[in-house]
Amino acid sequence: MNPELLHGTLEVLILKTLSWGPMHGYGVGRWIEQLSGDELRIEEGSLYPALYRLEHKGWIDAEWGLSENRRRAKFYRLTAEGRRQLRHATGTWSTFAHAVGRVLSTKQQPI
Amino acid sequence: MPVTKKWHRYLRLWGPDPTADVRDEFDFHLAMRVDELVAHGLSPAAAREEAMRGFGDIDRVKHTCTSLLEAREHMMRRSEWWRGWWQDIRYGLRQLTAYPLSSAMLIGTLGLSIGATVSIFSVVNAVLIEPLPYADGDRIVIVWETARGLGSASAGHFHDWTEQGTIFEATAAVQPATYNLADDGEPERVSGARVTGGYFRVAEIPPAVGRYLSAEEVEAGEAVVVLSHELWQRRFNGDTAIVGRPLRLSGEPHTVVGVAPAAYALNDSSGGAGEGGFSAQLWTPLRFSPGQRSNYGNHSFRVLAKLRPGVPVAAAQAEMERVTRDIAVRAPENMQGRGVFVQPLRERLVGGAQAQILVLFVSVALVLVIGCVNIASLLLARATTRRREIAIRAALGGGTARIVRQLLMENMVLAISGGALAIGVAVLGTRFMATAGPASVPRLRNAGLQIEVLVFALGLTFLTGIIFGLLPALRAGRPDLLETLRSEGRGRLARSGRDWTRAVLIVGEIAITVVLLVSAGLFVRSAMKLQHVPLGIDAENVLTARVALPAPRYQDASVVASAFGRMLEHLRGVRSIEHAGASTTIPLGGGSIDAGLTVEGRTVEAGSRLPYGHVRLVTAGYLEGIGVTLRRGRLLRESDMTAGGPRVLVINELLASQLWPGEDPLGKRLSGWTEGEQPEWREVVGVVGDIWAFGLSAPPEPELFIPYTQAPAGSWNSFQRSMVLVARVPPAGGDAADYSSALRNAVWSVDKTLPLYDVRTMEDRLSASLSARRFLMLLLSGLAATGVLLAAVGIYGVIAYFVTERTAEIGLRLALGATSGSVITMVLRHSAWLAAAGLAVGLVMALAATQVLGSQLFEIQPNDLSTYVLGTLTLLGITLTASALPAMRAARIDPARTLGGN
Repeated sequence: MNPELLHGTLEVLILKTLSWGPMHGYGVGRWIEQLSGDELRIEEGSLYPALYRLEHKGWIDAEWGLSENRRRAKFYRLTAEGRRQLRHATGTWSTFAHAVGRVLSTKQQPI
Repeated sequence: MPVTKKWHRYLRLWGPDPTADVRDEFDFHLAMRVDELVAHGLSPAAAREEAMRGFGDIDRVKHTCTSLLEAREHMMRRSEWWRGWWQDIRYGLRQLTAYPLSSAMLIGTLGLSIGATVSIFSVVNAVLIEPLPYADGDRIVIVWETARGLGSASAGHFHDWTEQGTIFEATAAVQPATYNLADDGEPERVSGARVTGGYFRVAEIPPAVGRYLSAEEVEAGEAVVVLSHELWQRRFNGDTAIVGRPLRLSGEPHTVVGVAPAAYALNDSSGGAGEGGFSAQLWTPLRFSPGQRSNYGNHSFRVLAKLRPGVPVAAAQAEMERVTRDIAVRAPENMQGRGVFVQPLRERLVGGAQAQILVLFVSVALVLVIGCVNIASLLLARATTRRREIAIRAALGGGTARIVRQLLMENMVLAISGGALAIGVAVLGTRFMATAGPASVPRLRNAGLQIEVLVFALGLTFLTGIIFGLLPALRAGRPDLLETLRSEGRGRLARSGRDWTRAVLIVGEIAITVVLLVSAGLFVRSAMKLQHVPLGIDAENVLTARVALPAPRYQDASVVASAFGRMLEHLRGVRSIEHAGASTTIPLGGGSIDAGLTVEGRTVEAGSRLPYGHVRLVTAGYLEGIGVTLRRGRLLRESDMTAGGPRVLVINELLASQLWPGEDPLGKRLSGWTEGEQPEWREVVGVVGDIWAFGLSAPPEPELFIPYTQAPAGSWNSFQRSMVLVARVPPAGGDAADYSSALRNAVWSVDKTLPLYDVRTMEDRLSASLSARRFLMLLLSGLAATGVLLAAVGIYGVIAYFVTERTAEIGLRLALGATSGSVITMVLRHSAWLAAAGLAVGLVMALAATQVLGSQLFEIQPNDLSTYVLGTLTLLGITLTASALPAMRAARIDPARTLGGN
């Protein structure tokens, strides 16, 4: 998958993933992969900076906790602002995807 | 609660460590990935390698994440910091309103004590302390000829001093002169000065327009003139093309060469042209003919000089004495009993002000001290009241630093409010006093706020505030909470050192207030006495105005005399004027000329001092006009005013007692003010009472009143052909000032081109001469009043606190059957004790301190008993009033609430 295309949308994917509940960074990466049907593979080198940027913007919160196997891990959680951003981005993406789809699937040549 | 949980991170030992955080997180991720890969069948080593590859350049990623994290932490720390400060400010403001009275008193004390002291100091500074506006003003001196007092010098003296003196950089002779100014506008009488070439080098400020008189111009006697700034603005509208313009001064054309700057005018309060020509409206050249240069007899010039740098006044004095002794050798007849005195100009203008300045400084300091004591006392009371609250906070883990910070904020809020009020009061107060004060106070209008003093006063009080405000917080570091709560509950007042401190502070404050009250009382009474000193004349209902006849048309003495005579005739025709007359010099009118006298029948021994008297040429009706008291004989009549008739004169008591002690002076004859060498005997026909002609602080001088028609011809030159018309109206005749048109008409009946000037009632002159002194006294009294007000606030605070502390005890007493009267008595007794202690200390201090004031007071002794009694009573009254409110509050305490409440 082209990493550039993914850059801006990665943040949206993270937000959506976290909307299912708090998770640590490793888990977020695995969830995105699973939800995409293993079509997307998230590089850690992109994942963590994206997470940190999202925290800086205040769209997600981070806190240390214990993972399933009793290891100390940093858990991320959606904030109210993040939820708002997710809603907005989802709408925009739908419109965008729909528009792109239309162009790509058109049978008629433009005038 | 995300906020609280995040703060757990902050409870790490050394604060959050972003690098460690990132490392830990990545380690966890790597571990999970390795586990997953191993579960898929890779070897641990291969799994590790594969996991690492997922990160790419792991160090770079770590670095990016660490930076992001650090930035976020930084932002959060900052916002927490601001939030903390904002919280404290709001807390401080809340505390302000939580204790409104205490806060109001603190802010008021700050504002009033600083504002009043700084503004009064600024005003007095402008008047007394500021250096002269001239370049090197401290080097300017006046060289007086002395003859029992300071007097003008002769042209000969000036010439010799200038030629033979080596210690002066420049010298100048000044002679006041008045002119009729006529050009395109209305003719106007202006007071100017004739000055020699060195004048503008002695009193040096660069001219506003053009240039000053040059030595050559003066030497050549050219008809040039320099205008004053005020005249230039007023009459010529500040026209910069003024240079080169011709003016007619008393009929003679002059050319304007320059304008002096506004700062030039010193406006000293002597009226008329002013000493030294500083408040002259224009300056014209003065040059001496060769004959004048050796004339040592006609003393009508003020001599100014500028010392060379570094030369002390004493050296100048010594040299001048040497030169003057030479003169005495060469012209002994003019030098009987005459000497020379070199006086710095500064000293002349603010002479005797050293003591006033000292008094000012001390008063300002005292009021500031009272202010600081008040602040300290109020803060201590506040702190003690909140002892409990602070103790609880400390116990709950507030941390001493945090409590100190909060108290600091609270005090900051108070300080800033008080400081703002102080600045406002200081600025407005200075402005108000500078503009509303009497015009005759020199340099008053230039008074500006002295920033250094403001900063000093603010600094002093803030320091006090910080010290006394933080004291309780620092103690809160180790409170015994249980002890505090327990003692609060029982209302037991711990006899801590703090209470003694407060008692001492208040007693000290009261003592200082007593000193201020006594000195203010002395000042006020002194000022009142100044009002009522009989001038020797009846100053009410008298209108005066000066007229001067221009030289070209009024050359001859008989022409002059006839003109004045006709003016008076006209005046006497006005029905409601009781008495009308004229004199060349009137009391408080400035510009007196004196002459040596010889008594008939007495030989003058060589080397002895001639008696002297101040000469006034008068018309009939003048002495009645000013209301002088007749002691012996009669006043001058119209029939005395004939030119060729018998020569008579009237003298005052002082002269009579000097010339003929113990004898009847009537019929005796004396000679003085003569044209030539020969005596012209005049017979004494009357003796009048002494007049304080030179203001109320200078003693009367010997005076002689000569009929104006019988004066030697040259007199009119000396008097500049000018007389002051005096008209007395009966009290029922209305305001004397309304008669100015009558005076004007009288003058115009003789010559329509003559202006009348300096039209004032005698009362106005009197109050003008007083006003400077009275103004300063008013200021100092105002300062004292401020101190008293502050002390009253302080006393109220102490007594109120006393009541609050003893609330439970009072409640108990009331419950056990004590009357409210006895409660009030208890409170008042406490306050009386404080007042008595303060009084005792204060009276002793006052007695010591007021010894200094002796020279400043007029006919009041520093030990004046009634002032002390009045001061004591005032203080007791204030104490009583300030204690009344808390006392009544104490009586109304509800025992049920206080006893049950704890």
